Amino acid sequence: MRPALAYRPGRSPLHRASPGAAISYLGALVAVGFVFASPLVLVSVGIALALAGIAAGAKCAVAASLRLAVPLIVLMVLVNALVTQRGDTVLVRGWELPVLGQMDVTLESLAAGGRIGLLVAVAVLGFAVYSACVDPDRVLRALRPVARRSAMTAGLVTRMVPLAVADGARLHEAAGLRGPAAAPVGRAELARRLVESSLDRAVDVAATLELRGHSLEARPQRERRPSRDDAPLIGTAVLIALAALVAGLAGGGGFETYPQIEVDAGPATLSLCAGLVLLAAIPFMRAKIKRVALSRTLASTRPVRWWGWRARG
Amino acid sequence: MNLARFPAAAAVLCAAVAAGCGLGPGEDSGEVELTISRDYGATVLEQRTESIDESDTVLRVLDRSADLETRYGGGFVRSIDGLAGSQNGGRRTDWFFYVNGIESPVGSAEYDLSDGDRVWWDHHDWTSAMRVPAVVGSWPEPFVHGFEGERWAADLRCRAAASVCDRVSAQISDAGAGPSDRSDGAITVLVGVWERIRSNPDAGLLDEPPSESGVFASFAGARRPLLTLLNERGEPAGSLGRGAGLVAALRPADGPPTWVVTGTDRVGLTAAAGMLGDDLSNHFAVATDGGGPLRVPLR
Repeated sequence: MRPALAYRPGRSPLHRASPGAAISYLGALVAVGFVFASPLVLVSVGIALALAGIAAGAKCAVAASLRLAVPLIVLMVLVNALVTQRGDTVLVRGWELPVLGQMDVTLESLAAGGRIGLLVAVAVLGFAVYSACVDPDRVLRALRPVARRSAMTAGLVTRMVPLAVADGARLHEAAGLRGPAAAPVGRAELARRLVESSLDRAVDVAATLELRGHSLEARPQRERRPSRDDAPLIGTAVLIALAALVAGLAGGGGFETYPQIEVDAGPATLSLCAGLVLLAAIPFMRAKIKRVALSRTLASTRPVRWWGWRARG
Repeated sequence: MNLARFPAAAAVLCAAVAAGCGLGPGEDSGEVELTISRDYGATVLEQRTESIDESDTVLRVLDRSADLETRYGGGFVRSIDGLAGSQNGGRRTDWFFYVNGIESPVGSAEYDLSDGDRVWWDHHDWTSAMRVPAVVGSWPEPFVHGFEGERWAADLRCRAAASVCDRVSAQISDAGAGPSDRSDGAITVLVGVWERIRSNPDAGLLDEPPSESGVFASFAGARRPLLTLLNERGEPAGSLGRGAGLVAALRPADGPPTWVVTGTDRVGLTAAAGMLGDDLSNHFAVATDGGGPLRVPLR
C-alpha cells in the first residue's frame, strides 16, 4: 500500500513543473497564510491548497492531511484555552490553581487557539500537497549542487513522513489481525512503537540514498530545458504575492483576538480571499483549457489526418 | 450520555462543580474606580466607577470603558482611545497602570480586581524614570484596600510635634485604614522635617534622581534644605525653600510602600500634613509652598 503522503507520479502541472516552480507556487500560498493573521485568509489559503492538491490528483494526500489537521486544531484550541486567560468574554469561570492562577476559559482564547490551529493546518496541507506532487529525487538533484547536506536532509524528511504514515498503518493493521481475543492496542502504544522504530527507518533511508550515490560529489548535469509548466506556476506565485501586498497595503487581513475578537471582513480581505482561490486555480485551468483545445483540434483534424494517411498509404 | 459508563468524565464534572466552576464571568463582586489620565495625571481624560464580576481583570474593566489597542497577545496596552505609546526625539511615552497607588508587578490582563480597588491608567514620558513604583494620587488607597486583594496596616513613624502626628494619624484612620492581612509588614508613614527623617534608608531615596526614587522631587542640603521640583523630563523646574512641604510615596522593594510627609521646616511639614486628603487626588506626588498643592512632576 502506498502511503497517502508519498509522491505519486502524475501529469498535473505540479508534477510536470520543475521543483523550484512547484515550491514557489505552494510556498507563496503558505506564506500568505503566515503573513496575515485573519482566519478568513487562512481558510481561503486552505481551500486553495486543497483544490490545488485535488486538481493535481493528490486527493488522498489532502484527505490524510485534513485528518491529521483536525485533531491538531482541536488540540491547539484546548491548550490555548487552558494556558491563556486573556480576553473579555469569559465563557467558563474556572479554578484558582496554586501556580497557574485563575483558569478562566474565554471566547477570545478559543479563537486565538483556533487561529493557531488553522495556521498549522495550512502548513500541514501545503506539505502534504508538496510531498505528493513534487518528486523528491528531482528536489534532491536540484539542491545537490547548491547544498548537498541540506538536500540530503530534505530528502530524508520528505521520505520519512510518508514512511512513518505507512508504518503506522501497517502496525495498526497487524494489531487488528491478532484476532478478537487479543487485548486492544491503544494509539499511545502504536505511537511509541512508531517512534522507537523511526531511528532505524531513518538509517535505512539514509543508507538507500547513499547507495543511490547521493553522498557523492554532484556530477555535472546536462542543461535541462525548463518545463512549460514552470512559467504559469511561477507567474501565479508572483500574482499571489502581489495580491497579498496590495491587500496588506489596503489594510486587509486584520484580526485581533485580545481583548475582544475583531475580524476584518472589508473589501480588501474578501477580495484577497477570493483572489487566492482563483489565482491558485490558474495553472490547472490553463492546463485543462489546453487539453480541451487539443482534444477539439484532434477531433476536428482526425478525419483529415486519417484520410491523408490513407491517401499516402 | 450515561455518566455511569464514563466514570472519568463524571469525576471531572463533579470536581468542576465542587471547585466552583461555572458558566459565564461569575457573580458581581462590587465596584472599582477607574481613572484615565495623561502626563502624570495633569489631564484627567476619564474618571468613572465600574461594576465588576468575579473574573474581571484590570484590562477587562478598561476595555469596557475605552477603545483599546493591544500588542503582544493582548498583554500590553498600546493605545487607549487613540492615544498610543510613542518614541519621539529620544523621548518615550507609554501607558502605565496603578492599582491602589502601586505599580503592578503583573500585566493588566493578569491582575484580578477586588471590590473598592482604584485603577489608574496614565500615559506619560518614562525616559527619565522607567519606574514610578508608588504614587499618592489614589488616596485613601492603599491604606484601605491594600494591594492584590490583601490589606496592609499603617505604621506611623512620626518625628514631629504631637499635633502634626495626631493630625496625620487621624487622617489615615478616618480614611478607613484597617488591620493588616499580610505578614510582610505595613505601609510605613514617615512624618517629620527633612533634617530629621533623611537618615531613614527609604526617605534617603529622595536624595536620588527620579530614575532611582520614582519621585520627581529631591532635597538638597540639611540645615536649610531646598526642595527641588523636576519636570516630566527630569529637569529642575523650580526650588522651594522655607515653608515647602512634600507628600510622596516610595517603594524600594516589593513590600508595602513608604509614604513620606515632610517639609523643609515645621511650616512646610504642617502644610504637607494638611494635604493628606483630596489634595492628593490624581497626583504622583504633591508639593506645597504654603499656597496650595503643587503637582509633581511640574509641567
